[in-house]
Parts: sequence; C-alpha cells; structure tokens
Amino acid sequence: MSDHPSPRAAELGVPAGYYDYPVVKRPVWTWEVPAYFWLGGLAGGAFLVSSAAELFGTDEDRLVARDGFVVAAAAALPCAPLLIKDLGNPQRFHHMLRIFKPLSPMNLGAWTLAAFTPVTLARAAAEAGRAGLLPGPLAAVARLLPRPLMNAAGSVLGAVLAGYSGVLLGATNIPLWAKSKLLGGVFMASAASSGVAAVMMAAARRRAPEKTLHKLSRLGTLATLGELAVLGAFLKQSGRAADPLVKNAFSVPFWAGAVGLGSLVPLVLEQVAGRRTGKFTRSLLTVSAVCSIAGSFCLRWTIFEAGKESAGDQAASFGLSRRTQA
Amino acid sequence: MIDAYRRFMNIEAPPAPQRPKGFFTDTSLCIGCKACEVACKQWNQLPADGNELSGNSYDNTGALGATTWRHVQFVEQAKANNSRVGQRWLMMSDVCKHCANAACLEACPTGALVRTEFGSVYVQQDICNGCGYCVPACPFGVIDRAPKDGHFEAGRAHKCTLCYDRQKDGLEPACAKACPTDSIQFGDIEELQAKARRRLADLRARGETSARLYGMPESTEAAEVGHLNAFFLLLDRPEVYNLPEVPRLPRKTMAQRYAISAVVGLAFAALSAVAFGRRSG
Repeated sequence: MSDHPSPRAAELGVPAGYYDYPVVKRPVWTWEVPAYFWLGGLAGGAFLVSSAAELFGTDEDRLVARDGFVVAAAAALPCAPLLIKDLGNPQRFHHMLRIFKPLSPMNLGAWTLAAFTPVTLARAAAEAGRAGLLPGPLAAVARLLPRPLMNAAGSVLGAVLAGYSGVLLGATNIPLWAKSKLLGGVFMASAASSGVAAVMMAAARRRAPEKTLHKLSRLGTLATLGELAVLGAFLKQSGRAADPLVKNAFSVPFWAGAVGLGSLVPLVLEQVAGRRTGKFTRSLLTVSAVCSIAGSFCLRWTIFEAGKESAGDQAASFGLSRRTQA
Repeated sequence: MIDAYRRFMNIEAPPAPQRPKGFFTDTSLCIGCKACEVACKQWNQLPADGNELSGNSYDNTGALGATTWRHVQFVEQAKANNSRVGQRWLMMSDVCKHCANAACLEACPTGALVRTEFGSVYVQQDICNGCGYCVPACPFGVIDRAPKDGHFEAGRAHKCTLCYDRQKDGLEPACAKACPTDSIQFGDIEELQAKARRRLADLRARGETSARLYGMPESTEAAEVGHLNAFFLLLDRPEVYNLPEVPRLPRKTMAQRYAISAVVGLAFAALSAVAFGRRSG
C-alpha cells in the first residue's frame, strides 16, 4: 500500500479521503444547459454546411443551402431563452454582457451567441426575401443584406458556438468533463453531424435533387465517423471518470441513444440510401437525420448528467488532481 | 472622455490595494468546538442548514456551501479492532482558500467575483446573475449557488467573504475572533506564513513528523492555483482532509482544449467544402 495517499490512514485501514464526501461541488445546472448546447451546436453546424454548399456547390446545392440557413436560424432562436432560464437570477441575464472576458468560456459563449443569433436571423430573412415570403419594403431591405459577409461571420461564430460548450464543461474540476481534453472536439463533431442531419432533413422534405441529398448523406457519414473516433478517444482518456457514462447511471441512454440511435443507425441508413433512388431514399435519409439529431441531444444530455454524477466520486476527483495522474 | 464616461456611469475608482490579509488555520490546535461555524453564521446572518445527523463523527455540517462558510471536519483514525494504538482524532476548520489564482474568479462571466483590496476573493451580490459556472470550477468544492426557490439570497453564488465588511472597519473575521484556541489566525499573509513555518519546525522537533503546511507559495499544491490566502497546517496527507494534492486551475489547459475543438471544426469545414465539390460539378 505504498501508493496509498496516507501511510497513516493505510496502516489504520481507514479510507483515503474524508468519509465518502465529494471533493468538488455538484453542478447546479439543469436540462436547459444540454438542450442549449445541442441546439447551439446544431445551428452552428447547419450554418457552416449551408455556407459551404453556397460557396462550393452547384446551383442545385445552393437551393438546399437556402433551407439550411432557415434551419440554423430556427435552432438558434431558442438558445438564448434556454440559457437565460437556467440562470439563478434570469432578470440579470444582461450582466453576462457587461464585460468582455474571453478568459471565461461562459462569457465568450454569451458574446458568441449574442452575435450569432442576429446573423442567422438576418441570413434567414435574406432567403425569405429572395423567396418572396416577405412583404415589399422588408424584402427590399433583406435583399440589401450582404450574404457572403454574413456567411463568413456566421460560419466562424457558429463553429465557436458549436465547440466552446465542450471547452466550457472541460474547463472545470468535474472528473468526467475535465479528465480528457477532447470534450470540445466531441461536441464540435456532434454539432457537425447533427447540423448536416438538420439540413438533410429539410432538403429531403423539400424535394431537393437526389444528387445534393447524396452529397449531404456522404458528408453526414464522414461527420458521424469522425464523431465516433473523437468520442472513443475521449472515453479512453477519461478512464474511471467515465464510469457514470459508460457503466452506471447513464449507460443505457448513452449507448442506446447517443451511440446507437445517434451514430450507428444513421451510418447504416445512409449506406442503404446511398445505393438507391426515389421516394424510399428520401424517407430513409429523413429517418436517418431524425435519429442523428435525437442522438446528438442524448450525447449532450448524458455527458452533462454523468458529469454531475462524477462530481460525487471522491476517488475520481483525487485521480484528477494527483501529481502523478493515476 | 473616459473620465466623463466614469462620471456619467457613476463608476468609482477601486479602493487602493492593502497588504494582503488571510487565514492561517492550524489544525493541530483545533478542538472541534465549531465556534467558528456559529460565529460565521451569526455575523453573516446565514440560515441554518437543518438538523440531520450524518453518523460521521461529530460532523453534521457535511460540507462548505452557499450558507456554510466554515466547516469543522472530524477525522477519526482508529483501527477496526478497537486497539488504541495509533488512534487519533483530527479536527480541521475548513474555509474558502481565497486562492492567489482563483478558478471561480476566472470562470465568472459577469465580473461579480472580484479580488478585493485585501487580496481576498469576493462575490458582489448586486452583480452575480447565478450562472453557476464558479461552482464546478472551484477545485475545493467551496462556492455554491443558493437554491432558486430558497429564502436566502436566492439563485446567487455565495462563499466566505473573509469578512470583507469587518475588514473594512479594521476588525478581524468573525471566525478568527471566536476561535478559543487560536487554531484560526487572521493577519498579514506574509507574517502568517513566517509564523506557520516556525510552528511547523516546532511541531516536527517535538515528534509530529507527519505535520505539513498546505497552501504555501513554495509547496506543490500552489503549482496551479498559487498560494492560498487561507492556508493550513495539517497533520496528515491533504487527501485525508478531502483536499486535492495539486488543486487544478482550469485555465491551464484551456488553450489546448480550444485548439482541439478548432482542429475538429476546421476538419469538418474542409470536408464540407470537398463534399460539395466544384461550383461547376
């Protein structure tokens, strides 16, 4: 027992820590936080994909991009209310913006969301104006909006919004969130796959050309494979801190929801759909997209809740803070 | 221009910095009377936490929290066979460490958490919007948010203020004032550190070889959070008192975390560009 944290305690046969009391506090956040991370990621991912389609795609791809911007705006809209609802004093939400302090990921995120939301709304309005959905004077204003500039700004802001949430959770002392440095990568990859899925869902319903649908489907497959790779590395690095996620309290929604429904089912459906054409393909890709989007929420929610559980794990906390990482 | 803005916004100049003050908690002198807990509750008008018995020695407080800013721990070290050899009872009054590099202060997005002119870390209650980010940031599990539906300062973050209000009037904090054995000492941090080194040498000379200081500028636990403005003399390894061996400062790994996230994001952007091919395609 030479590696026992207290030789005296080891000799006496008593526990290493102070009873079984946690070392760190359990986070006070509730469901609004993972819901916001999920929608914010989806919005960022969808905006990025739509911008890429508009910049690099064919004329047909660009029609799909138009719907994508509307999807991004729709997902971004509930983000701020969710974030505000979770505050202890929601009427003081604007205190987030009384200073600019990028050292705090929470502050950086609040500014990013405050900038991203109007950009997505303006970008969606520009599409609505082009489609003739806005009344005369508004459509004239919407036509004046600089689309390439909005695409560039929105893509950067959307990517930050998609990734910072994982960094925010990682920059704490909660064992599951902090042990591995990959959580920001996991959330970014999940935002990418769900963003592609959201655009694909809209495209499939709006009778987009099959060629474009297949491009989105292939991109979705690659994003999902990337997500699985980063997630696997994250779990491997997390070790014992990941027990509440992979073994205990949240293992079922994690494996069945986040991994099975969110990644494996879409991978299979996209493979099947890739070899076919017609109405059946659209249905398959719609189902695949819905699974991917639902799985993306499961991933955020299970990692969030399992992290709260891991806060109660005294040994995992000690493992996080030992000089020689056990 | 800036001066006009300051006048218009009624922004006061910050108080001039004083010599940093803090706590030296010498656990070898603690008798577990909990006078510090009571004095703290009384002075700061903190509500009671209930009447539950933990079954863990005399510790029915459990942990520091939004309404508990001093917490006396009772560590019973005894052999299972009830032999009295080597048996001992360690007591320690835990408190916010007022870290030199405070994780809570760095995490705070509103600027509610500030460093006072006395070197302590303080939550401005009129600024805090209860975002809760300081709670998981603290490596010691000190700061907490009061319940949103509670009666005490609902939905805002709270912790030891190092009796900022008393210090403003030149008084020592309530816990230090109440401590009957001088286990809790308040004063100029450098003087306290010198005192602690002398006390440690004295204890070691008298055979208490497992005594150690926790939170000194030169010790391993200061590697990331810096020295602690509330530091301790312990009689066993830090983990026996639920103190982390090297408390982590989240900022230290933040750049790497952002970089990893950015790499994944850029990879995805590149894939998207390739997936949609050439404009002509």
